[in-house]
Amino acid sequence: MGFSFSYLMQGFATALSVQNLFWALVGCFIGTLVGVLPGIGPVSGIAILLPLTTVLPPTSAIIMMAAIYYGAMYGGSTTAIVVNIPGEASSVPTAIDGYEMAKQGRAGPALAISAISSFVAGTLSVIALTLFAPMLAEFAVVFGPPEYFALMFMGLSLVISLSGRALLKGVISMALGLAAALIGQDPLTGAARLTFGTVTLNAGVDFISVIVGLFAISEVMINVEQQITAISEMKISNWMPTWADIKQCGWTMIRCTGVGFFLGLLPGCAPSVTTFVAYDLEKRLSKHPERFGKGAIEGVAAPEGANNATSTAGFVPLFSFGLPTAPSMAVMLGGLMMYGLQPGPMLFAQNPQFVWAVIASMYIGNVMLLILNLPLVGMWAKIVNIPFYVLGPMIVFCAVIGTYSIRFQAFDVWVMLLFGVIGYLMRKLGFPVAPMVLASVLAQMLETSLGQALLISQGSPLIFFTRPISAVFMALAFLSIGRGIWAQVRVKAPEVVIEDPD
Amino acid sequence: MLRTVRLRLLVRGISEVDVKTQRVADIYTGWFVALVGVFVLISSTWISEAGIHRLSPRTFPHVVGFLLVACGIGLALKSWSLRTEGPTIAWPDGVGVRTITITLICVAGYIALMDLLGLPLATFAYLAIATWYLNRSRWLMALMIGLITGAVSYYLFIRVLGLSFPAGVLFE
Repeated sequence: MGFSFSYLMQGFATALSVQNLFWALVGCFIGTLVGVLPGIGPVSGIAILLPLTTVLPPTSAIIMMAAIYYGAMYGGSTTAIVVNIPGEASSVPTAIDGYEMAKQGRAGPALAISAISSFVAGTLSVIALTLFAPMLAEFAVVFGPPEYFALMFMGLSLVISLSGRALLKGVISMALGLAAALIGQDPLTGAARLTFGTVTLNAGVDFISVIVGLFAISEVMINVEQQITAISEMKISNWMPTWADIKQCGWTMIRCTGVGFFLGLLPGCAPSVTTFVAYDLEKRLSKHPERFGKGAIEGVAAPEGANNATSTAGFVPLFSFGLPTAPSMAVMLGGLMMYGLQPGPMLFAQNPQFVWAVIASMYIGNVMLLILNLPLVGMWAKIVNIPFYVLGPMIVFCAVIGTYSIRFQAFDVWVMLLFGVIGYLMRKLGFPVAPMVLASVLAQMLETSLGQALLISQGSPLIFFTRPISAVFMALAFLSIGRGIWAQVRVKAPEVVIEDPD
Repeated sequence: MLRTVRLRLLVRGISEVDVKTQRVADIYTGWFVALVGVFVLISSTWISEAGIHRLSPRTFPHVVGFLLVACGIGLALKSWSLRTEGPTIAWPDGVGVRTITITLICVAGYIALMDLLGLPLATFAYLAIATWYLNRSRWLMALMIGLITGAVSYYLFIRVLGLSFPAGVLFE
C-alpha cells in the first residue's frame, strides 16, 4: 500500500477521459452551487445526488461526488464574505475578515483570494495525499480519547486570542456557547439536561442555528437600525487581488495547508475546528494582529485554505482504513460501498485503478474549480451593492431556509432568531461572538472524549499529562490561558473587543 | 450619526440606570451573566444521575454555571473599579428601535406562518411586506420580489431538490 508513480499516471489517464472529465466538471459546478445555496450543505448535496449516480460507472460516480464535496468547500465562503452568512461553522473565521473586506468595497479580492487559497491548499493536500496517505493514516490511529480531549481543550483556549482585550467577555461568550450546546441529551448517559421537561428541547440546539443567528440576523438588525442603503456603497473597480495581496498570503496558504491537512487526518477533527486553528495561528504570527477582524486578507486566506486541506485529508483515513472522519465522508463511504468497493487497506491493492483515478481527478478538479470560480468573482461581489431593502429580507430568507433545513423543524428557526437578538446585544455591549461559536461546535466532542478518557484512566485526570501527544496539547493550552490571564492583569481598561462590531 | 438612548431598568431600588457607557453597561451585564450562571447551576441539580459513569452528566453544566458566575462577578467588579467610563455605546434612537422591532415581528411572523401557509406563500408574504417596509416607495417591486422568490422557493427547494419544506394548502 505505497505510492506508485505508474499507478498515478494510469489514474490520470482514466481521470482525463472525456466522460470522467465531464462528470468532474458537473460535480464541481453542482458543488459550488451547493456551497453558495442556503439549506443544502455538502452532506445533503452528496446524499441527494447519491441515488442519481447509479446510472454512472463507479469511477465516474465517485469522481463526481468527490468534486461536489470539495466544490462545496470552494462555494461555502461566498455567502460568508458577501452577506455575512457562514452557512457552515467552518466559514465563521472567513466571515470575520471577509465581510469586513466586502464592506470596504473589497469583496472581489476577498472572494478571489479565497478561491486561490483553496486551490493552493487543495492541490498541496492532494500531493500529500498521493505521497503520504498510508504513513499519515497510521499516525492518525495513535489518537485516542485523551489526545482528542487535549486537542479540543487547546481549541477552546483559542478563545483567549479571539477575545482580544476582552478576556472576561470572551470567556463569558464561550460559557454561554457551552450552555447552549448542553441543552438536550447528555452524549454519554442520555440524561436530559437543561430541557425543563420539554420534548422540543430534548433534541438540543443545533450549532448552525446559533451561527446563522449570531452572524446573519444580528447583521441585518444592525444594518436596519442604521438605515443603510447597501452593505457597501463603494464602486467596485478591482475584482482581483493585487500581487501584493497574493504575496502577503503566500506563506499563509502554505501554513494553513499544513494545519488543515494534519489535523484533518484525525477522525472528528472537522474543518470547523481546523479553520479556527489556522486563523488563530495567522493572527499570532502576524506583525499586525490588530488588522485581524478589520478586513485582513490573510484572515480570509487562512481559514479557506485550511478548510480545503482538511476536506482532502479526510480521504486518507477513508481510503486507507475505511474510516469516515466527517459526516460528508460517511456519505462518501456509503457511496463507495454502494458500488461494492470496501475502503480499507485492501482498496489500494485490489482496486488501484479506481483509487488512483479518484486521486488524479482531485488535481484536475482543483484546477477546474479555480477556472470556474475566478470569473464568477465579479458576479458574487456585486451582491454587496444591491440596495439593502432588497438584500436584507433576502438574507433573512436564506437564513430561514438554511436553518429550517437542518431538521425541518420551526424550532431551529426560532433558536436562530433568538441568537440573532443575543448576537445584536453582544455586538452592542462589546462581547466577541467567535468564542460562542467555537464553544458550541466543540462542546459535544469535548465532553465525549473527556468521558471516554476518564473511563480508560479509571477516573484519573493524569492521563492527559502522561501521554506525550496529549501532554503537548495540554501544555500549549495552559500556556495560551496563562498568557491571556497575564495580559488581562496588566491592562487596566474597560473590556473592549478588538474586532469592532460596527 | 447615531444617538444613544437611555435604557430604564429596575435594579435593586435604582429606578433609572443609564447604560450609555461601556463601564456602566459592563457592570450590569456582569451581574446579569452571574444570575444566568446561578440559574444554570440550579437547573443542573435537576439532572438525573443515571447509571455509573466516570463523568456525571451534571459535571459540565456545573462547570459552565460556575464559569458564568465567576466571570460575571469578575466583569462587574473589574468595571466597577475602573476610573475611566470607556467608549459610549451606540444604542439605536427611536426610529431605529421601531425599525428593528417591526423587522423582528416580520421575521417571527414568517417563521410562525411557515408551517401554516407553507414555504412559498409565507416567503411571498414575508418578502413583499419586509421589502415594502424598508422602502415604501417601491411597493410594486416588493410585490414582484415576493412573488418570484416564493415561486423559486417552491420549484427549487420542494419540487427539484425534494426537501421536506411545508408546501402549504395551495400546493399539497
